[in-house]
Amino acid sequence: MMYDYFNNLVTGIESTLVAHPEKKSHRKAYALEIARLGRRLYTEDERIAWCGVLAPFDVLNAMSVTSCFVEFVGAMLASTGMVPDFLQEAETRGFAPDTCGYHRAVMGATYKDLMPKPDFCIATSAPCAGGMGVMENIARHFNKKLYVLNIPQEATEESVRYLADQYQEMTDFVTQHTGRPLDREKLREAVTLSNEATAIMEEAYRLAQHVPSPANGKDLANFGVVMALLLGTPAAVEVARAYRDAFAARIERGEAGVPGEKVRLLWIQNRVQFKNEILDLLETENQAAIVCDELNAITWDPIDPDDPFPGIARRAISIPLNGTVKRRVKNLQKMALEHKIHGAVNPCHWGCRQGTGARGMVAEGLKQVGVPVLNLEVDCVDTRNYAPGQIRTRLEAFIEMLTA
Amino acid sequence: MNEKRPAIGFTCAYTPLAVLEAAGFSGHRVLPTGGQWPDQAGRILHDNLCPHVKKVLDRALCNDLPELAGMVFMNSCDAMRRLYDAWIQVRPGEPALILDLPPMVTDRAIAFFAREVERMARSLGEWNNVEVTDDALAQSIGKYNQVADLFARVRVRAAEGTLSGGAPRLQELYNDASSQPFSETIARLEKVLTEAHGADPAAGGVQVFLFGNVLPDPGAVDLFTQCGARVVGDDFCTGSRLFAPLEVRDGEKPALALARSILNNPPCARTFDPEKPLALAQDLLERARACGAQGVIGHVLKFCDPYLARLPVVRETFKQAGMPLLLLEGDCSLGSIGQQRTRIEAFVEMLR
Repeated sequence: MMYDYFNNLVTGIESTLVAHPEKKSHRKAYALEIARLGRRLYTEDERIAWCGVLAPFDVLNAMSVTSCFVEFVGAMLASTGMVPDFLQEAETRGFAPDTCGYHRAVMGATYKDLMPKPDFCIATSAPCAGGMGVMENIARHFNKKLYVLNIPQEATEESVRYLADQYQEMTDFVTQHTGRPLDREKLREAVTLSNEATAIMEEAYRLAQHVPSPANGKDLANFGVVMALLLGTPAAVEVARAYRDAFAARIERGEAGVPGEKVRLLWIQNRVQFKNEILDLLETENQAAIVCDELNAITWDPIDPDDPFPGIARRAISIPLNGTVKRRVKNLQKMALEHKIHGAVNPCHWGCRQGTGARGMVAEGLKQVGVPVLNLEVDCVDTRNYAPGQIRTRLEAFIEMLTA
Repeated sequence: MNEKRPAIGFTCAYTPLAVLEAAGFSGHRVLPTGGQWPDQAGRILHDNLCPHVKKVLDRALCNDLPELAGMVFMNSCDAMRRLYDAWIQVRPGEPALILDLPPMVTDRAIAFFAREVERMARSLGEWNNVEVTDDALAQSIGKYNQVADLFARVRVRAAEGTLSGGAPRLQELYNDASSQPFSETIARLEKVLTEAHGADPAAGGVQVFLFGNVLPDPGAVDLFTQCGARVVGDDFCTGSRLFAPLEVRDGEKPALALARSILNNPPCARTFDPEKPLALAQDLLERARACGAQGVIGHVLKFCDPYLARLPVVRETFKQAGMPLLLLEGDCSLGSIGQQRTRIEAFVEMLR
């Protein structure tokens, strides 16, 4: 079923682009690559790894492993409107409704045989403890080997070496399960492609700072976090380039991502993954543009292709959802100032301790740079708890306050 | 025999307590019990964080703390990490430290954690203006192991039903031990062990094994007794996990011994062996059986992801093994567990 879904998506986008080349866009390029990844995940002869969010996907791509963080499935089920059955299944099996909706959806999909059987699993200790628990459950359910990457909180010489050594060991683990040793030249190429893609992504983010911004909320939704899955492949470079070029062209034409942009917003952490009216309300009704997302940031330096593991370790450690809130807030403040933000929206994903748990400190930190924060009480995956009327009232009041 | 030492606060059973003593401090576990504080932590964190962490932060916000020379936090879970973030914000300028804690037990993870233990020793040494030598650490580990050994003996008495006051008293002893120098605990426990065999209020009760995370209120343990249960063993971070023995191998650096032992001791759900996913369930079952438990009661704090993610398999494992299991969810307060009285009574009744 899932193979057919993704295959239809891929062929649909491909044939549209052949028939109507003028419809080629950055968002289509992105959607096509995600659909292709989805199709690979459900293709039988692929080597599959279910992973934690901060797994080094470029290394896994270099080793010809189709890998994905499990939360991707939760987001996908939410976006297709299929999620309630899977949440229900997980809850029936004993997963508390107070836990993260992404993780409950993934467990429901596992129990209902929707998740492709992996060859092995790679858990990451960051960003969250809930994710670790789910990886442990998935490894047990499929009776597959699990490798755990412990991502330290701070980048010291010792912690970087510790994580870099784990990556080396992880490649041996992968080889044991695929029979394919790490090809240093392929890794070198993958890291070079990662560097190229991230440099272009950084350019695109910089272009989004323009007033009015060429970006809108749809452009940037889930972009940075999903692009991590494509790192190490030419597809990542292609998609990043499509974004940068699209933003540059809009600026050149004097075109705003949200026509008549009046308010510039920063979106904190995750988007609400299921169909909702938030973007319409913000952008169409109120000309309030989401010009940046917290997770759309390049927080690391280019990685040395000849000695990549220390650089990849620094990358994982630098992700804002890892480490202290102090560091996270510093990153948010920087983004807010660079993008000339008027206000920030924080969807406090119910069940997320690491992200939502910092709610008050994030709001306080942004307040220090003059950016008010609207905390929305939502579950980004669980449609059953969504209260559109309440969300509308709060967003409208927030925009009214920002424009007063 | 009161030994006056400045106190360092801590909140997690993974804290290397021996380092505190080696640096001239004593540990003070900031428990989520003892007072009525306004519910303020939710505005800094979020209401969906574990009540343990919120209540500890509420204590800090209300200055309901003894004089502390600093705090040591462990990066044991998301909530604990956020507690550290909030703590340094609400008590700026006070010494505070967070140690990274690997979630798995491998040689590499142990070596990394050993370096974290050394970092802790250096920081505490600076806070107290002393050098924490390997000799001091070794001596402190020795004292800690005395405490662990004495607690093991007291637990035997409690399990046999010959400890005056039974399981609630054992909990009081744990609580006191978590907030006083080792030497005072050693003297206290030695005295307890010389007491004549006393009456266990739970004598004749149904034998149960308790597990979970934070349940420090002796009143909560007493409730199980009142419901007709006799606690024959526990696995709580405010109970037996707090003083698990430390193994020191010949020629091994004390920091490495501490790291290896702490990571290898009976774990909180957040630590696991990747080779045996969810072995926690089987481990708990075996421990319950080894205690001769007729049933098991799990008490887990609301919003505790490490446990919530593992409970489905715990439930399944116990069901397959035919071991009766009652799972309770609480918020550290006696009130929340008191609401479960009927369920506990029914469970115990079923086991008779």
